[in-house]
Amino acid sequence: MQGRGNQTPPPKAPDKYLWPDKPAVIGTSVKRLDGPDKVAGRAKFSYDISRPGMIYGKILRSPHAHARIVAIDLSAAEQAPGVKAALVWKQPGAEVMFQGDEVAALAADTEEHAWDAMRLIKVDYEALPHLASVDQAMAADAPAVFTGGNTKPGPVQESGDIDAGFKQAAHVVDATYSTHVVTHVCLETHGCVCEWDGDKLTAWVSTQAAHGTAQGFAQGLQIPQTNVRVITQYMGGGFGSKFGPDTQGLICAKLAQQAKVPVKLMLDRKEEHLATGNRPSAIAHIKAGVTADGKLIAYDAQSWGTGGAGATSNFPLPYIYVFPNRRRTHQDVYINAGQQRAMRAPGHPQGCFLTEILMDELADRVKMDPVEFRIKNLPDRAPNAMWGEYFTRGAKAFGWDKRHATGDSTPGPIKTGFGCAANQWGGGGRGSKAHCDINADGTVVMKCGTQDLGTGTRTIVAMVTAETLGLPVSAVTPEIGDTMYPFSGGSGGSTTAASVTPAIRVTAFKALDALCAKVGPALGVDAATLVASAGRIHVKGTPSKGLAWKDACKLLGTEPISVDGDWMDGLSSTGTSGVQFTEAEVDIETGIVRLKRVLTVQDCGLIVDKLTTESQVYGGIVGSINFALYEDRILDRVTGQMVNPNMEWYLIAGMSDVPQIDIILNNMPERGVIGVGEPPTVSTAAAIANAVRNATGVTMRSLPLTPAKVLDALEQEKAGGTL
Amino acid sequence: MKQAHIALTVNGEAIEVAFDSYKTLLEVLREDLNLCGTKHGCELGECGACAVLLDGQPVLSCLVLGVECADRHVTTVEGLAADGRLHPLQETFADLGAAQCGYCTPAFLVTAKALLDEHPNPTRDQIREALSGVLCRCTGYQQIFEAVEAAIPTATSEAESLRSRPRESEAAGASGGGAPREIKE
Repeated sequence: MQGRGNQTPPPKAPDKYLWPDKPAVIGTSVKRLDGPDKVAGRAKFSYDISRPGMIYGKILRSPHAHARIVAIDLSAAEQAPGVKAALVWKQPGAEVMFQGDEVAALAADTEEHAWDAMRLIKVDYEALPHLASVDQAMAADAPAVFTGGNTKPGPVQESGDIDAGFKQAAHVVDATYSTHVVTHVCLETHGCVCEWDGDKLTAWVSTQAAHGTAQGFAQGLQIPQTNVRVITQYMGGGFGSKFGPDTQGLICAKLAQQAKVPVKLMLDRKEEHLATGNRPSAIAHIKAGVTADGKLIAYDAQSWGTGGAGATSNFPLPYIYVFPNRRRTHQDVYINAGQQRAMRAPGHPQGCFLTEILMDELADRVKMDPVEFRIKNLPDRAPNAMWGEYFTRGAKAFGWDKRHATGDSTPGPIKTGFGCAANQWGGGGRGSKAHCDINADGTVVMKCGTQDLGTGTRTIVAMVTAETLGLPVSAVTPEIGDTMYPFSGGSGGSTTAASVTPAIRVTAFKALDALCAKVGPALGVDAATLVASAGRIHVKGTPSKGLAWKDACKLLGTEPISVDGDWMDGLSSTGTSGVQFTEAEVDIETGIVRLKRVLTVQDCGLIVDKLTTESQVYGGIVGSINFALYEDRILDRVTGQMVNPNMEWYLIAGMSDVPQIDIILNNMPERGVIGVGEPPTVSTAAAIANAVRNATGVTMRSLPLTPAKVLDALEQEKAGGTL
Repeated sequence: MKQAHIALTVNGEAIEVAFDSYKTLLEVLREDLNLCGTKHGCELGECGACAVLLDGQPVLSCLVLGVECADRHVTTVEGLAADGRLHPLQETFADLGAAQCGYCTPAFLVTAKALLDEHPNPTRDQIREALSGVLCRCTGYQQIFEAVEAAIPTATSEAESLRSRPRESEAAGASGGGAPREIKE
């Protein structure tokens, strides 16, 4: 994402830098290098950082969904035992816009002293009218809570001739669809430890963007960015919600400055749900037409959704499939709830669900198989648009031919069904830089200021270095997660692998070239003829004419190789496609949905580490199962308070809820590295809803598919039909 | 603040520790014994991230008071390795990619150890049931399940092959919430 605004095109990688035809390391399954640290309990997360003299920060948050702060009195809290620092974050006169909005903060020698002192902070609020739901915000008599209005219409997207399109339609579906708000629920909460040394700040932050967070501290605290160091060695999940210091980071830094000792400020679970982001809701009224022979012909949608207090909620619609005549409007609806943040494939799970459910309805209207119907209405095949092949391949592997028509007609309360859905994503990335040292003892260090969210970045840094230098992975020390290392952007948009690996490749080649410049004269050959493979530097095609790696490095004497390199074009690209199939069991007496199987066919360009690539796909699918069946941020419609800000009533799948998951990866080395963190989480929910529809014969137009909602839909069907 | 002072055995070592008497076992371990392998997740007994073994049984250390642990045996993730060698579960977790971000990993490891100590050859349903109280947000459970199966001492040949599986050759990753298999294309 970073660096996309570059005006001049970046240099193109020389041919010799291109990914090897016969890689030794890339594309194999390499275990995470930090696995041993993680399983031994040695991996230090931000939450685990402890500094000499460290004290604990806490944030006082608004209990109201909307209020004006009349007065804040810190005096009693400041006098409380153990309190070392206190500050007002929102001044009297300012408004708090959601439950959990930051008001004041303090730091004390123990967490308990901090909690005790928090109760002594006196805040007078003047309660103001609030909006706890989209319906309340859109009501004709809604109070005007947000400046400029409670809703904000977006531009009309239109192409073709919509009226002419509907005239050609043999069948029209006209219905309302919706998805709900979910939160990121990072297992490690947001937060950091801040320590000042004079005017220099060191912050250990649970973040997806070490360098971006340093910039955020510098801007927020108005200090030079050179005075900020951010360290993120290990972090427990971000999913799009951890891109900067955030308010709690700035508060932590200010408290540490005031107290003159390091401060740890990690949020608790409730704060996570309220204030650190969520996936916006999406609702759409859709009218769609299909011709008698099964071609999508016309589409007219009015959509809306809420990203909370003043934040956007847009998403792609319709998703993937081609309607030649279409119109779509969207409006953001503001309510008094925490603002949305990017959440794993922002917008796509919503657009996918709202489109794919409709696709099955339309397929039924023209009596076509859902897979065949989808293939008939896809955009043209392209390297980033391979759905047609994947649907065919996946259907065969899944046993799609065993799918029954809509509605399982077998007797008994347990109904079984199949569903499918497609995904797309951009990925790609650029702008990373790296630094490589090769020492005379043969050791190699590759440094890059990226971060590893668990995705395996640390491991692929070592893999690409090893591949390029002809060494085993274990011979390379990767150093990441620190702004002392060269710039790399945030881990968002599935861009990390495509941003980092070309920079590593280029930097390792530059280091190798420097080494070959020493080895060439020693061997009496032109350095340009030398290559690195299997632990040797040797003349290309003649492995015997060369030196073992260690002997080559001895030539360096007292002057190690120390080179910098940049991302180059030609080693990565953007655009992925994938499809997913699910089998679900529905108990029509209880409404409980059980998943039996998920199968996916997914591409992501060149697969760097097969094991960590598969991990991303597994994790993404489980995230989407959660979206479909379990997670739901529920706000009290009267008070605007979240009623399930925990992990008991905010449901997340456990091991026994997760079905068999089969992954078919389509390796596309010719496209270079792209990235896969997000696409797998786009389409599982839609495929599940379609499987439930196939099982029960009832269309599920609203997520999550809780037992209550499934039973409701079944009742509606009896009362006149949802079809 | 009133201090508690207790004797207990942590990871096989008899120790004494003094701490503020209101502290949970989780806090005593992390703050007073510098054993940070055990993680904070929700501090409400809901996510399972803070699981440790108390007299061999898995407990949520955020729901246990430190003072309850006098004269008892506590095992944390740091205590699983013996004689400088990782526990078989730790090896299979690292080998099979069962530790993605790694935050929930310590809790899964100690819970799985308790399972294997009690049932050296558990069924797949026993594995699922035993581990369902620990929540994972990024790895996806698949590899965690495989890692537990691969660590069973009397491993079936199928689990053995998982442990040593080269994984680079096949077109498709195997298995599901407990049913390893190859995709027939």
